[in-house]
Amino acid sequence: MEATQVLFWFIAVVTILSAGIVAFSSKLIHSAFALLATLVGFAAFYVYLGADFLAVAQIMIYVGGILILIIFGVMMTHRIYDTSKRTAHNSLILSLLGGAAMAAILGMIIFRSPWTATVFKTLKPTTSMIGTSILTNYLLPFEVISVLLLGALVGAVYLARREEDEE
Amino acid sequence: MNNLNSLQYFLPELFLSASILIIIIVDLLLKKDKKIITAYLSVLAVLVAFFLAYRQYNYAFTSLFEGMIVLDSFAVYFKVLTALSTIIVIFISMPAFRRHSEYYILLLVVTLGMFLMVEVNDLLMIIIAMEMVGIISYVLAGFNKFNMKSNEASLKYVLYGAASTGVMAFGFSYIYGLTGHTNLFAIQQAIVGHSLQPLPVFIAFVMVVAGLGYKIAMVPFHFWVPDVYEGAPTPITAFLSVGPKAAGIALFIRFLITVVAHPASQTTFIQNVQIQAPLLLAVLAVVTMTLGNVSALGQKNIKRMLGYSAIAHVGYMMMALVVFNTRGFTAIMFYMVVYMFMNFGAFWVVQSMTPHLGSEDISAYKGLGYRHPLTAVAMAVFMLSLTGIPPFAGFIGKVYLFAAIIKQNWYTLAVIGVINGVISLYYYAYVIKVMFLDRDEEIKAISVPLYDRVLLWLLLIPVLALGVYWGPLIDLAHNSIGFFFGN
Amino acid sequence: MIKLALFIWLLPLAAFVINILIGKRLPRKGDWLSVGAIGISFILSLIMLYRVLVDYDPNFLVQGSVPWIDLGVLKLNMGLYLDNLAVIIVTAVSTVSFLVHVYSIGYMEGDPLYNRFFAYLSLFSFSMLGLVMWDNLFGIYMMWELVGICSYLLIGFYFTKDSAANAGKKAFIVNRVGDFGFLIGLLIVISTVGSFNLTTIHQAVGQGVLHGGLLTAAGILLFAGAVGKSAQFPLHVWLPDAMEGPTPVSALIHAATMVAAGVYLMARLNFMLTFDAMLVVAYVGGFTSLFAATIAITQNDIKRVLAYSTISQLGYMIMAMGVGAYVAGFFHLVTHAMFKAGLFLGSGSVIHAMHHSMEKTGIHGDPNDMRQMGGFRKKMPYTHITFVIFSLALSGIPFFSGFLSKDAILGGTLAFAMSQSNPIHYLLPTFGFVAAIITAFYMFRLIINTFYGKPKNESLFKHIHESPKVMTIPLMALAFLSLYFIYTIPSISPAGPEGGWFTHLIERPISAVATQLGHPVLFIPEHTEHAAHVNGMLISIIFALTGILLAYLFYYWKKIDVEKFTQRIKPLYALSFNKYYMDELYQATVVSGLLLWNQMLAWFDLHVIDGIVNGSAWVVRNFSFMDGWIDKYIVDGLVNLVANMTLAFGKSVRKIETGQIQNYILGAVLGAFFIIILTMI
Repeated sequence: MEATQVLFWFIAVVTILSAGIVAFSSKLIHSAFALLATLVGFAAFYVYLGADFLAVAQIMIYVGGILILIIFGVMMTHRIYDTSKRTAHNSLILSLLGGAAMAAILGMIIFRSPWTATVFKTLKPTTSMIGTSILTNYLLPFEVISVLLLGALVGAVYLARREEDEE
Repeated sequence: MNNLNSLQYFLPELFLSASILIIIIVDLLLKKDKKIITAYLSVLAVLVAFFLAYRQYNYAFTSLFEGMIVLDSFAVYFKVLTALSTIIVIFISMPAFRRHSEYYILLLVVTLGMFLMVEVNDLLMIIIAMEMVGIISYVLAGFNKFNMKSNEASLKYVLYGAASTGVMAFGFSYIYGLTGHTNLFAIQQAIVGHSLQPLPVFIAFVMVVAGLGYKIAMVPFHFWVPDVYEGAPTPITAFLSVGPKAAGIALFIRFLITVVAHPASQTTFIQNVQIQAPLLLAVLAVVTMTLGNVSALGQKNIKRMLGYSAIAHVGYMMMALVVFNTRGFTAIMFYMVVYMFMNFGAFWVVQSMTPHLGSEDISAYKGLGYRHPLTAVAMAVFMLSLTGIPPFAGFIGKVYLFAAIIKQNWYTLAVIGVINGVISLYYYAYVIKVMFLDRDEEIKAISVPLYDRVLLWLLLIPVLALGVYWGPLIDLAHNSIGFFFGN
Repeated sequence: MIKLALFIWLLPLAAFVINILIGKRLPRKGDWLSVGAIGISFILSLIMLYRVLVDYDPNFLVQGSVPWIDLGVLKLNMGLYLDNLAVIIVTAVSTVSFLVHVYSIGYMEGDPLYNRFFAYLSLFSFSMLGLVMWDNLFGIYMMWELVGICSYLLIGFYFTKDSAANAGKKAFIVNRVGDFGFLIGLLIVISTVGSFNLTTIHQAVGQGVLHGGLLTAAGILLFAGAVGKSAQFPLHVWLPDAMEGPTPVSALIHAATMVAAGVYLMARLNFMLTFDAMLVVAYVGGFTSLFAATIAITQNDIKRVLAYSTISQLGYMIMAMGVGAYVAGFFHLVTHAMFKAGLFLGSGSVIHAMHHSMEKTGIHGDPNDMRQMGGFRKKMPYTHITFVIFSLALSGIPFFSGFLSKDAILGGTLAFAMSQSNPIHYLLPTFGFVAAIITAFYMFRLIINTFYGKPKNESLFKHIHESPKVMTIPLMALAFLSLYFIYTIPSISPAGPEGGWFTHLIERPISAVATQLGHPVLFIPEHTEHAAHVNGMLISIIFALTGILLAYLFYYWKKIDVEKFTQRIKPLYALSFNKYYMDELYQATVVSGLLLWNQMLAWFDLHVIDGIVNGSAWVVRNFSFMDGWIDKYIVDGLVNLVANMTLAFGKSVRKIETGQIQNYILGAVLGAFFIIILTMI
């Protein structure tokens, strides 16, 4: 077994384990911190796939942005830090059944399908390629997203704004 | 076609985007009590977009922005339809939302999203367009931010939407992995050319159906519907059950006839890979309409009842998806228009009557037939049309749907559909019964403003007119789907 | 031409829509709108008639249609079929309608529902014009029902009056009986021919697609519709009661146009009537003409006399259709429309005067009752003169239009009888001639009682006055249209319509049935026709004069004491006076039968339907008593059980909606996999 492979398995185990903690931990703050490990693990996988830009983006956006926001939210919410409020596991058996079925089917497909993607290719920086694509072939999605964000902004402002003359 | 040349075919969308920016700026200049002006501007903007879109009808088929979207009569048909639904919903909203220009801005963004949804031709664009409609809808569903129910509806909508988009994206990744393309036509070529194994295609298909099914409120991805429909402001409920749904169905049809199947003879499509798609769709249609109808039976809240009935109607429309031919798709396209008018009509009655009746419970409609006969009669017409009773438009729509499946020998499906129609009669007729047969000793007449009555008539007339004269519309729908065969 | 016809047709519709929506707020309550619309239609129809007359071609035909309904198996077009028949009847309808509109301005003045009245009149004009112009039976059927609805609305126009409301209902229900036959006839046609288009049906019948007993049945069933609408025996009972409506309505709908729709239908479908079907038509018509005439003798209500007279005259037309005197029957339709509308408007003028007089003197009574009238000649000169002209026309006196057409019918009937080997068919001309005497008799009985003699009620008589111009001018116009030469130009012979434009333009259509094998063909040799015509003319003049003479003997010179004579034939008199007890007969059989049925339905309603509706609430409350309950009311129980099970299912399904988002997503995942597995197996 090569070093890269060892590393891969290590990251895989860490990612899955931390994802398990996210799902099953009884304390919110534990889940939040475990999510950190999961997300970083994913970034590592992207590196393995040669997607350098994606890996950096993953860390910057998810870890640097979203996760911090979540932890802030958890910490700043009054007294949530030391409550041990459990998330409800109403139908554990059904959930396990569903999860198992999903895993079975997806696994079957993953191992039996003729994927077209090439597995090995030389690593080279992808950032400039992505940049070129965004401004040529994928210009429209790029521009449309800006309108989407504008709309989301308007909506967020509306929801967050304190109405002076209402109630 | 490259990006620059594509712009000339992108006028409706460009105009909408520009209008959004302009209205945001105009909003800043308006005093608090003049915000309603943005509503008028929005109507104007959508109206212009409507006509710009309509002008594109019968343009030759064109692929735009390096294949990201396509312009064809099918897309134009739905663009016109969704624009119309936005116009109607703005009119429905105007009396209630007079102080929030954001509301109308958001509606315009959704309209832009719907326009994109019906013309996408790339997996990436599908996700972006759907999220454009989705994210803004989340905000709109929670627009009454001091109403706990509205908030809850919004939050549920977000969570559920996120999950289903995730599943759909995962499905897309399978498709991309199998074919190496994101462009729908390229995917079609790849699937047909490489004769892929059915199983992964089928699973990918199911995942995509999960995402689309969520958008059009199909069982078993419908769980958000009753909560959101009840919690959201009534105009938004009406809108969600028509506009985005129409766009979702258009996208569904486009996905079916490119990724799942391809045009073969003059009117039928052949599957790219033999998968059980028709059977799956049939089962989903049956489950959807049955669950929708059966759940609607005992509802006390009229909005919730209409929410469940909206699910049932998705089931009716999905019946015609299973046949994979123009007859079926034409029937759906026709039904969507009919459904738009009758559903908006019913919701408009709810919206305009709620302040007078003080409640959204069906029992509050007691004796409405004596308190304001016009509204009650109109409501009765909408209910009967939704049930599918002649001579109203809903009947004609159902006839086409059933004719499409019976022609292809889906008898069991048709029978189940008819049984469902009978079940639905119960709860629709119940509303009529409450309005006309129950009455209080003392009749308190309701006075309805002219605006309300005019809008009621405008929604009522198409339901009546399409019940007796529908030739041009069905021709239009047929013509729009016909382009896939190059005519 | 098509565009012209479309304008003629749709203008009244526009007037209706505007009037019903905002008529109340318009100046003069919108009467000018309806009158104007029908006025323009009238002028346009004259233009259309002019074109036809310039063309002077018996085979003139313009058709135009647009696709309307396409359900794959069933294709329907919306289209107009304009041949001479249609153009002439359109002109007649718009003429009478226009005059009645004008007349109504005076007659209905001050009515609280003035605008609605005009709206209804417009709707009626629209539907009647549509009825005669559509090119397919389905459209005709639609318009047929629409005129029925207008008639119902207008009969019950004074709906606060019980008798009016009941008369409306009666008309509606009795017509349903006939229309049911019509509908079945239509279904036979569509299931065999596959099209409603008149031309297609003609071809199909000619090719034998629809033949034999089924063709006869189709003809008779379609005729059943005509029996209802044209008030033929035994469905005639609604028309006399329909006189409860305002008099202009009686003139327009229940005398001139709508009731003639049945005759029009028989004319349109004449090509597909087999010999047997024609016999049925002829006998129903002939019997009705005599039957109704005998009732008219004894009635005292001025409008009822005219109503029975209308039934009788419609019987003539129907009989003419049955004996192959197609041109004569249709001719009588047109002339009758003019003079009968005139008679009704004239009677309306009298009633109007009586009504006002009663209001002034404070006498409560029936303004329609002839026994209160008499001597009006001096006070109402215009009404009097025009009324006499109409009556002469109706009685069939030379120089008036009625003579031409009635004589043609009688001649045609006689020719039919002469050409048949079975002498029993002489019954038909006998019916006709006897009815002719009676017609002349009762018309002059009416005139003498109303306009001549001494006033029977002096105090009322004092306040009688002539009606306003807006009412008398239409009368004069109609009187002019009752003169013979209008219909005989360019010939001016008073002896018959031969050589005139009318008989030139209208020809009996070639029977499509005749070309099929195995059907007896009605053929009347020309010399028989001629001989019958001359004889018929002589007899009918003599008979008409006899009738008038008798009337004078009885009522003017009083040579015969009416009272004594009545006493002597009391049973017969009672029979006629009570309309042969037809209403009572229906009351005893059909109506009470229906009431019984109604009670059963009400019981069903109460116990079953309400049971379903209230089922949910009821079942929840009484769930524990369910078992015993089923035993008690098995039917209800079963129905409720189904409803309840569905509801319970719904309830359990709704339980999925827990409000917990995790459960929702779990549900979706499980559901999806369940369905995947289901479809993959």
